[in-house]
Amino acid sequence: MEQQEQILCAILDAGEALLVSGAEVARVEDTMRRMALAYGFTRADVLTITASMVVTAHAPDGAVLTQTRRILRRETDMRRIEAVNALSRAVCAAPLPLDELRARIAAIRDMGGGAPWRMPLAYLLIAGSFAVFFGGSVRDGLAAMLCSMVLYAIGRAGARIELQPIVLTVVSAAAMCLAAFLTVWIGLGQAPDTIIIANIMLLVPGIALVNSLRDMIGGDTISGLLGACEALLRAVAIAAGCALVLMQLGGAG
Amino acid sequence: MTAEMTVQIVMAAVGALGFGLLFRVSGSRLITLALGGAANWGFYLLAFHAYGDRVLAFFLAALATAALAEVLARLLKTPVLTLLVPMLVPLVPGGDLYYTTLALVQGNMEAFARFGSLVVKEAGAISFGVILVACAVQTVLKIWALARKKTI
Repeated sequence: MEQQEQILCAILDAGEALLVSGAEVARVEDTMRRMALAYGFTRADVLTITASMVVTAHAPDGAVLTQTRRILRRETDMRRIEAVNALSRAVCAAPLPLDELRARIAAIRDMGGGAPWRMPLAYLLIAGSFAVFFGGSVRDGLAAMLCSMVLYAIGRAGARIELQPIVLTVVSAAAMCLAAFLTVWIGLGQAPDTIIIANIMLLVPGIALVNSLRDMIGGDTISGLLGACEALLRAVAIAAGCALVLMQLGGAG
Repeated sequence: MTAEMTVQIVMAAVGALGFGLLFRVSGSRLITLALGGAANWGFYLLAFHAYGDRVLAFFLAALATAALAEVLARLLKTPVLTLLVPMLVPLVPGGDLYYTTLALVQGNMEAFARFGSLVVKEAGAISFGVILVACAVQTVLKIWALARKKTI
């Protein structure tokens, strides 16, 4: 493969790392365009939607290169976004040699999820605090924390077997509602409604919605619509999952 | 301020902190997020106190929070999204989404319509606040860039 093709491929890797970490489309396109120009391409046209990326770059010798990527799975990770930002700033100041660029992108990709206690702690904090926030007692808070661990376990298992996000949301919501009624049945929780609402906060597609709004304002209508549609589907999936359980137990609460 | 409001503000801060962890925001920014989440709910309580309307208060709180996030993001040199979403979380109408579903499965169509339209209005109010701030920021930045070009 030619040097220029490899550079373009590395730039796409950087863009892909941004997109799968939950960056706005405008940021992804801007970053790739800047990096391509920094590496001496005379023109770079980038089109990114939430599911795909296309880059066409014009090399100084007249060659025109096009590469595409399909994006399947996204997970919000702000550290990765910041790391790619820093990398792109460094490249624009002075282009790194290809090997070093690749090494740094690989390092960002393999960053891992941070400390292993980070995610469970986040789940516990969110569920516990919102249970009390929505008027629950301390016991409701504890029950909500217990249910959030059910959500966490199902989320991990779902990612392991590569379940579709929408299906995973339905399953998670149903299991979480069941767990909430279970905590009330064993006498820990007091208000199943509050416990369920606190855990719904963990499933709500906040990033997808805000991201899609900002995309649409930024002129990326297709990405914005895709994101808004995804957010709406997620909300319906949450309602569907809860409804499955509430149809049987809703009267008892 | 009642004890209930104090509890809500503290819990909003803890919740925002939790979402910061969930989105893998690093280090000291988590504290900014927690304070932002508290400020967000504080804005809501103030607006609700002033106007007595839930949807309008949601809109004003989203507006103030989005503006705060834009300023903080530039001060801390971090993507706006990092700050905005966790800070807005206390406004998310998860409760009303749940009551809508509950009303549906209980066959209570009157409550279903009431809560359903409330969810749509609340989500719309938050979106409108975020959109307005995004528009304002873009306009100000363009004018700023133009003004700087003229003076150089």
